[in-house]
Amino acid sequence: MKLPVNLSVNGQAYEEEAEPRTLLVHFLRERLGLTGTHVGCVVGECGACSVMVDGALVKSCLMLAVQAHGCEVTTVEGLAQRGKLHPIQEAFVHNFAMQCGFCTPGFLMASHALLERTPNPTEEQIRQDLSSNLCMCTGYVQIVEAVKEAASRLGEWRKTHT
Amino acid sequence: MAQNTYIGASTRSKEAPRHVTGRGRYADDMVLPRMLHACILRSPYGHARIGAVNAGEATQLSGVVGVIIPDDVKRRSRPFKPGRYAAGLRVPIPEYASAVDKVRYVGEPVAMVAAETRAKAEDALELIEIDYEPLSAVTDTHAAADPSAALIYEELGSNVAWQGQVSYGDVEQAFAGADRVVRENLKIHRYSSTPLEPFAIIAEHTPERLNIWCNSQAPEVVYEAVTEALGIDNVRVIVPDIGGGFGQKIHLIRKYAVLTALMAVKTGRPVKWIEDRSEHMMAGGHSCDQEFDVEMAVKSDGEVLGVIIRDTDDVGGSISTLTIHFTNKLNNLFNTYKVQHLRLEGRSVLTNKCPVVPNRGIGKPGMCFIWERMMDRIAQELGLDQIEVRRKNLIGADQFPYTTPNGNIHGSGDYQELLNRAIKNIDYDEVRKRQAQSRDTNRLIGISVVIGVEPGGRNAARDMAIFPESKQMPGAGGVEGATVKLEKNGSVAFTLGSPSCGQGHETTAAQIIADVLGVAPERISITGTFDSALSPWGVSSSNSGNNFHLYDVGAVHGAATRLREKVLTLAAHLLQTDKASLTIENGIVGRVPRSGSAEDDSITFAQLGKIAYGNQALLPDGFEPGLEQTYYHSHPHANPLMIPDAHGRVRAQYTFSSAAHAAVVEVDTETGRVRVLRYVIVSDNGTLINPSVVDGQIYGSAAHGISVALGEGFVYGADGQLLTLTLLDYGKSTTLETPHVEIEHYPIPDPFTTLGQKAAGEGAAIPSPAAIAGAVEDALTPFGVKVRHLPLSPERVWRLIHESKT
Ligand code: FES
Ligand code: FES
Repeated sequence: MKLPVNLSVNGQAYEEEAEPRTLLVHFLRERLGLTGTHVGCVVGECGACSVMVDGALVKSCLMLAVQAHGCEVTTVEGLAQRGKLHPIQEAFVHNFAMQCGFCTPGFLMASHALLERTPNPTEEQIRQDLSSNLCMCTGYVQIVEAVKEAASRLGEWRKTHT
Repeated sequence: MAQNTYIGASTRSKEAPRHVTGRGRYADDMVLPRMLHACILRSPYGHARIGAVNAGEATQLSGVVGVIIPDDVKRRSRPFKPGRYAAGLRVPIPEYASAVDKVRYVGEPVAMVAAETRAKAEDALELIEIDYEPLSAVTDTHAAADPSAALIYEELGSNVAWQGQVSYGDVEQAFAGADRVVRENLKIHRYSSTPLEPFAIIAEHTPERLNIWCNSQAPEVVYEAVTEALGIDNVRVIVPDIGGGFGQKIHLIRKYAVLTALMAVKTGRPVKWIEDRSEHMMAGGHSCDQEFDVEMAVKSDGEVLGVIIRDTDDVGGSISTLTIHFTNKLNNLFNTYKVQHLRLEGRSVLTNKCPVVPNRGIGKPGMCFIWERMMDRIAQELGLDQIEVRRKNLIGADQFPYTTPNGNIHGSGDYQELLNRAIKNIDYDEVRKRQAQSRDTNRLIGISVVIGVEPGGRNAARDMAIFPESKQMPGAGGVEGATVKLEKNGSVAFTLGSPSCGQGHETTAAQIIADVLGVAPERISITGTFDSALSPWGVSSSNSGNNFHLYDVGAVHGAATRLREKVLTLAAHLLQTDKASLTIENGIVGRVPRSGSAEDDSITFAQLGKIAYGNQALLPDGFEPGLEQTYYHSHPHANPLMIPDAHGRVRAQYTFSSAAHAAVVEVDTETGRVRVLRYVIVSDNGTLINPSVVDGQIYGSAAHGISVALGEGFVYGADGQLLTLTLLDYGKSTTLETPHVEIEHYPIPDPFTTLGQKAAGEGAAIPSPAAIAGAVEDALTPFGVKVRHLPLSPERVWRLIHESKT
């Protein structure tokens, strides 16, 4: 049995269907080909699958695809605009905030959610917030630095983009 | 070569743009036409005999296309050849890709199903019936070594699968001359490096060949395993982006490559198999639990005269990596110390646990733990200062290049200075004052300063040091290639011989090429990730052994240097001048001093490319067309002792980075919780090619070692059930527990490598467990607690405190 999943992802409308047991992360990756969202644990521990659903940060391995019916989803593929990196992405590149890159989309989405709520977070707030995500490679220092830099880049960016 | 513009600078990452846009290409991202999805049925028992297997119902389920059970594996594949880590086996034991007669650990693969969807394959797994005859499980090396224990391999007659030793100098003599013998029992637990991306394999059998896409760090292992197991010569192994490796993706992944390939052959369709997290935790490979009985013969001034170590390695339920942790200790056997007499006795004990594999540091964190814990113990027993005892024993700065008694040559270093700087950077005296104040509270402060080496550049003959009688050499020294090509349009493309797991190889290699060729890194790009059909690979082409800095850097540099010569030859001919008068800058070859107009005096890479590939009339006589060079690199200073001598001396690795680590911790005596307040590293990695990339390696490996010390690790029940199947139970540190590590670089170039570079990868995972252990012990001095065993989870620390009170 399949159920309809009509949703918008990164501003594009899709009319799809899915088995009730299909996880949102698998739907995004396999059905829509959005392979930037990764699976590191499939049980909500690592955050590699983080996406935004209706403005909230969600681990897409903990959500069924059918639950996203009617929702607006943003994945890592939706951050860059008109071929230009989003300031958070630019800050991650500039700070070498990744090694293998597998956790990166999740950290970007988590950082994005953090900076929406708290535009100028302290290191402590960053570490508190990003404890939802695991990185096995970097030891987090350069990720935290990237988020700090992203905060100041975003300040500038918002002035020109709003 | 032109002067360094890019080497030494943190040039923009080449890999990062694709990762931040979600365009990394990992194995699971790929889809082939008509591809099936496979799942694996795994043993629920730690130890059991496999009886009848009934897969009839599973085969009938709609959507199921193929099922492989132990009989198929036995009939249709050959067992693995014993590799270098099984060379010590007393009797040959065939090991297949799956269990065939017995299961020896929870999670051991038993059967595979391939179906149209992963969900269908999972459904079918539940329909396979296996009659297991449960046997008693052994999970502890002491019990397993007892003659009455259940035998894991009956053929061996004992669970002690290997015993051996290496001995250097005259240990008995050293002990006879000692003022005192300091003894200790030390233990390191089972952990892993838990790469975020689990194993991933796609196999496709075409009429021409067998194609395997997989995230193997050491494609040679998969290449050979599949060739041998299935008898197919024409195998192509392609490694896309890898989501972290750290050694986990070297050995056990071959089992799954063979099973997936077998399924592809059997069904005639491409097959994808993706491991899940809990599968990786139970069967992806662990580090050994290691137990050391250590004796150090010392003089009363703290000088160490001789060392005896009895090492028991719990190697789990497989015979294929018996000595892997033992021989890796040859890399840093003497750490940074000048003692001349040492014996390391080893035994590898089989248990019903996951087989053991390398991970960040393998064996070396244990060896460093021994040294650094013992330095503290010696100081305590002799009433000396812990740092002074280290200083007394360090190899002096004037002794480099220094040859250790087991044959390693430390090319450069200044260990005293590393300690000086670490002490200064951590404000040692200030911390001692704060510590004194903390003594009245329930939050005790502790500090520890340790030192260690990071060996790099593996010698493939290393493991034969413990098998002097063996005639089968798995290789020697190292070989690795690279290709650099000036394209028709003047851009530069390069191909590396080895895969990367995120260590910035594209970025780093491009910097070297940029400086050698005289062209900006933006014009340089990698042709793709590893492909056995296209990459120039050799025995060192693995993302392991800290190989990149020695072999890949040498190969890239060599290929670029050859290409530069060729570019200059062609340009000199076209500009009618001699090579010596030419320089290259920004992709333009020009004559100095200038003789006329820019046009007469210079030629661009694009012009050269066009001519080299298209205009024979303009080429010099005897000039091979094209501008592409491949170079295979071996370490030019691989001798002496590339081949082990009769005394077991061998150059285990070829370069030796070093670092001092200083840790300040706070221990909550009520809860046992340890917080790392500061963590300082002073690191000598030789010439830094990209400092930010090197920083990342240090941060990451330090974080891993600290997390290991603080509690991450595997726990088994007495019945062989793994109790830590998730990352949460396993206790991986997050941003909250991981300290903001502070790094100072103190690079001393290596006199023997291409650019003076030394290793930078797993380094900080080696001394960090010892640093945390030392700091926790220091904090708990008021309780007289001795830290002998890792991990220092809150429960363990709480127990240490409470046991000390009784
Ligand atoms: S895959 Fe969703 S949290 Fe790990
Ligand atoms: S960069 Fe590899 S897991 Fe974070």
